[in-house]
Amino acid sequence: MAFDPVVLFFLLGAIAGLAKSDLKIPMAIYEALSIYLLLAIGLHGGVKLAESELVPLILPGLAVLAVGSLIPLLAFPVLRWLGRMPRADSASIAAHYGSVSVVTFSVAVAFLAARGIDYEGHMVVFLVLLEMPALVIGILLARMGSKGPVQWGKTMHEVFFGKSIFLLAGGLVIGFVAGPELMDPLEPMFFDLFKGVLALFLLEMGLVASSRIAEVRQYGVFLVVFAIVMPVVSAVLGILLGWGLGMSLGGTLLLATLYASASYIAAPAAMRIAVPKANPALSIGASLGVTFPFNIFLGVPLYFWMAQWLYSLGG
Amino acid sequence: MQSDEMLLLTVVAEAILEDILIDEVRRQGAAGYTVTDTRGWGKHGKRRGNWRQGGNIKLEVVGSAELCDRIARQFKEQYEADYGLLMFTTPVTLKN
Repeated sequence: MAFDPVVLFFLLGAIAGLAKSDLKIPMAIYEALSIYLLLAIGLHGGVKLAESELVPLILPGLAVLAVGSLIPLLAFPVLRWLGRMPRADSASIAAHYGSVSVVTFSVAVAFLAARGIDYEGHMVVFLVLLEMPALVIGILLARMGSKGPVQWGKTMHEVFFGKSIFLLAGGLVIGFVAGPELMDPLEPMFFDLFKGVLALFLLEMGLVASSRIAEVRQYGVFLVVFAIVMPVVSAVLGILLGWGLGMSLGGTLLLATLYASASYIAAPAAMRIAVPKANPALSIGASLGVTFPFNIFLGVPLYFWMAQWLYSLGG
Repeated sequence: MQSDEMLLLTVVAEAILEDILIDEVRRQGAAGYTVTDTRGWGKHGKRRGNWRQGGNIKLEVVGSAELCDRIARQFKEQYEADYGLLMFTTPVTLKN
């Protein structure tokens, strides 16, 4: 099986981390790379969105949100009762898995680009919208049966004005307002360099993930199995919904990837503030140490294969 | 030259708490504060500082013993149970 070279950068970073290499990406560069990726994804979606009709997107958008909200509700009882995990941890992990990962989405976008497969521009709108509901559901699940106030103001500020949503939505609006022609001069910077920057970012993610793998191991087989099975179940929901809504094959793969991905930027920040009793090592360890590598190496090709199979049946 | 005896309160905490802690420091009436990004290792594991979720901050406030005590008490009450938090004071002489 030939892997996309960008995901091999993740492997390189993970090996460097495990081998205790002195390789370190300075925090300022990590920040710059993530700002670039968020803006590039947002702009790209905005430009594509400018070329499509908006009104017909409302109902599919609601359906995507509704199914997306089911994911944390499915994950929570599994973690709580099958995994016998404390309520706060179950709720926090459920929120991470219901929310989405921009970088996993970017890898799926690169996967499609390498195969010359197009997708709907509004997938980026779904990416922005899907980040939030799971976090609110996770906080509510954690709150049921516990005392003490939730810092809603601070938490919502983290969600809406944390850089991930802010830059994604900002890029989306700029790309949408400008349209394809005015965006043309920015293309070399934001579109042509995208894969190279993604590769560098994945190198750093490999380094970070390698430090998380050991933490997940401490919490046993259950969490590792959950971190692999849950994304596949969520992806199946995405494939069925994408197919049902008449999306393109590329759009369906991206929806499946969004559902399958687990957040490790917005969710950890929001949950750390809103559910302080939850152990962040568990949720970040599972999402970044297991689910993220699973998705970029095996998940995305698997979801693509499943979607292709379904589309071949449906004609 | 004027010399005032004061305390320097140093708080090492998870980076995610930065804004909340700063709000509290200002609410308690501190004249200023300094924040730096840090990394390290302790009861809450290794804080590598290579991304925000895994980073620490060092928050420094110079003030009267009473102010430093008030801030430290508030932080201990609210955040010690659930977050990585280390606090100490050192006597300092203010030179301006």
